[in-house]
Amino acid sequence: MLSEWDLVARVQRLTVTRFRVWIKQGLIKPADQTAQRFSEADLARATLICNLEDQLGFSEEDVPVLLNLIDQIHGLRSELLCLLGALDDLPPDVRATVKLRIESRRGGDGGQ
Amino acid sequence: MAEDLYSVLSVPKTASAEDITKAYRKLAKKLHPDLNPGDKAAEEKFKKVTAAYDILGDAEKRGRYDRGEIDASGQETPQQRYYREYAGGEDGARYRSTAGFEDIGAFSDLFGDLFGERGGMRGGRGARFSMRGSDAQYRLDVDFLDAVNGTKTRITLPDGGTLDVTIPPGVADGQVLRLRGKGNPGIGEGEPGDALIEIHVRPHPVFKREGNDIVLEVPITFDEAVLGGKIEVPTIGGRVFATVPPGSNTGQTLRLKGRGIKTKGSAGDQLVKLSIILPDRIDDDLKRFAETWREAHRYDPRRKLKEQA
Repeated sequence: MLSEWDLVARVQRLTVTRFRVWIKQGLIKPADQTAQRFSEADLARATLICNLEDQLGFSEEDVPVLLNLIDQIHGLRSELLCLLGALDDLPPDVRATVKLRIESRRGGDGGQ
Repeated sequence: MAEDLYSVLSVPKTASAEDITKAYRKLAKKLHPDLNPGDKAAEEKFKKVTAAYDILGDAEKRGRYDRGEIDASGQETPQQRYYREYAGGEDGARYRSTAGFEDIGAFSDLFGDLFGERGGMRGGRGARFSMRGSDAQYRLDVDFLDAVNGTKTRITLPDGGTLDVTIPPGVADGQVLRLRGKGNPGIGEGEPGDALIEIHVRPHPVFKREGNDIVLEVPITFDEAVLGGKIEVPTIGGRVFATVPPGSNTGQTLRLKGRGIKTKGSAGDQLVKLSIILPDRIDDDLKRFAETWREAHRYDPRRKLKEQA
């Protein structure tokens, strides 16, 4: 676990003030809320926010929108992976049926 | 890696620094791994594009590259750990949002059941319905001086819990403090509501509040009024000495600068209303003095009153 200072020191161009704004906005949620300690995921996320603003030139207003979408994508991906894992556990004939169903539904949606 | 860096960014060799940044951003926005989770090809391209920009985006390195002093690989920066590497794991779970699944749950019985169940098992994450908790309303009686100077207090809630409340200096009667997230719990991933605390300020026996000024009436003796002098006056921050000018009168006000309510940017004053009080018992000395003084110095304080009514 990292302290606030450790984390800020490890991200280029990040300052404590800037980092605290993100916490206040809820963009970063400390892995350990009570001790205000941060994990590797928090570090990577802080790096991502820095990249979005400094490297890619998104504005401070854009970033929460982007993160919200990214979080949704990961939420969806995680559920999808879970679902696929469950499908993989099914017997082969059931999987084949599911596959057929999926293909026919896709066809029914207008041939995507 | 022998590829020409300018062609990686699709810019001519003569491109300005701004054009290079623009070209890089355009590509990077399209290819950034966190904007394309799971897309390996985009990641490879992004790395190439970023490596190219690391050199071409830096005037000094670009010059060295143009002069052939460094090759296209330049110096490899330590590899960045992208957020997406964590986003799918246990550590990233608190950030994942299934807000996008709400409608799917409604369309599919199977999904609805699954996500409902999952919410229960994993402590709220992935719950199908999320709703912010409602605000909780409380009333808090505060002593005048606590309201004026600010304080910290703890209130006990009906359910036995406690709530720490910081009362900001100068809080006004009837003002409502909002404590974010201290209200009733939310449903699913919904945030808790806020606690709304209505402040009631108990009146003070001597201090009155007018805006950020504190008004108080202070009795002075007849000789203090005539001769002037220093008197001790209570303020919200403790006792101070105030100077009564010679010839002060009842109703006259002394202004003690900055002794009122201090808020962020400014401080109010204390207004001291003077009031002349004669001694409880008029002794012979005073009586005699008044009699002789009256002979020579008659004045009429009610002249104006007579003119007006």
